[in-house]
Amino acid sequence: MSSISHYLNRFKASLKIDHTIRDGVAQELYTHLEEKTQELEEKGLSKEEATNIAVQSLGSPELIAKQIYETHAQGSWKEALFSALPHLLVALLFTSYYWQNIVYVSIILALTVGIAVYGWRRGKPIWLFPWLGYYLMPVVVSGILLLSLPQGWGWIAALLYIPLVLFVFVHIVRQTARRDWLYASLMLAPMLVTFTWFSSLGRGNELLASDWAARLQTNALWIVISFVALAAATIAFIRLKQRRHKIISLLVPPLVVLFAVVTASGGNICSWSWLLLLFSLSAFAIPLWMEARAYE
Amino acid sequence: MKARQRIDRGVGMNYGRELLKGNTDSLLLCLISRQPTYGYQIVKELEKRSNGYFQFKEGTLYPALHRLERDDLITGKWQILPNGQQRRYYYITERGQQVLAKKLATWQDFSTAVKAVIQAETT
Repeated sequence: MSSISHYLNRFKASLKIDHTIRDGVAQELYTHLEEKTQELEEKGLSKEEATNIAVQSLGSPELIAKQIYETHAQGSWKEALFSALPHLLVALLFTSYYWQNIVYVSIILALTVGIAVYGWRRGKPIWLFPWLGYYLMPVVVSGILLLSLPQGWGWIAALLYIPLVLFVFVHIVRQTARRDWLYASLMLAPMLVTFTWFSSLGRGNELLASDWAARLQTNALWIVISFVALAAATIAFIRLKQRRHKIISLLVPPLVVLFAVVTASGGNICSWSWLLLLFSLSAFAIPLWMEARAYE
Repeated sequence: MKARQRIDRGVGMNYGRELLKGNTDSLLLCLISRQPTYGYQIVKELEKRSNGYFQFKEGTLYPALHRLERDDLITGKWQILPNGQQRRYYYITERGQQVLAKKLATWQDFSTAVKAVIQAETT
């Protein structure tokens, strides 16, 4: 492998952004190296010497990748606030009894679907991912609710519906992760918060206790705190330049939510709920784990 | 004595580097405003016009260009040359011209003020 190819591979491996931007910068660096090499060769240097000097004069590929990342990864304040908006809307639902009002919930749902589809079609801007997380939620929740249909119908529906849901879910997560694993985490964050709170509504071996609505309302303040923490973390994620700071910002909400759920339920969480809680936290941790592996 | 000279040289280099860092945007905008240009040509022009004073790791130019493009001060367009090679030419935008004019005016004022103070000190 030539030293130019090796240099560009190192550059590409260090830069975790939209592949079209990454390939564009790599092409610019390639042209630069080719031209410099050609010029040095015309001055009498051998091909190998010329290439080595050209590569050295460009500097560390990791440093260029880091600086390019910082340029492209930082969103504007407008983008940051728009990304946090769905979390704040959900928090608003729980500030009163709005979450029980079908009109409010439907408006927010329609808004979420509309914005998520618009963002997906408009080249997946950075603000899209939290909206996409909420967009996927009803799809997944419908699959879980199908299980409660009577006389075995639930399982039949589930056998048809759940594979479809899984296909759509995996496709969207893969598409997002291909761009950046951290965006997949940002997208999955609302699900984590929702499923974690859902897990606190069980009792004994029941996934959903009969008084779940009353318990949800009792815990409303903690739920609002959870979603506001998520909104704050999202703003920090979008505004921060450095990748490691972005990762730290994403680790804050699960800790806040875990603390809130355990405190609100007084530590009284059923076995099903612990399983769901564990699943939610794992789902959230997978992209971060993949990120850590990529750095090794 | 030698250590002192080394420290003095180091201070001078660091100061020069800081000055270059603080004025990178103005220098790039200035070059691009004269004619649409590309990365390697910018490096050569900077070196030529400054008589070799501006020397830096060439790769750091690209993050600066992308930052200017993100801020809508310049815009990049790919062009295919007759030999099939692709180059990304940068053009200054209207906003870039306005920002450059402001930066140049500020630099002139600053430079005049510094000169006035230094000349008063030396005379």
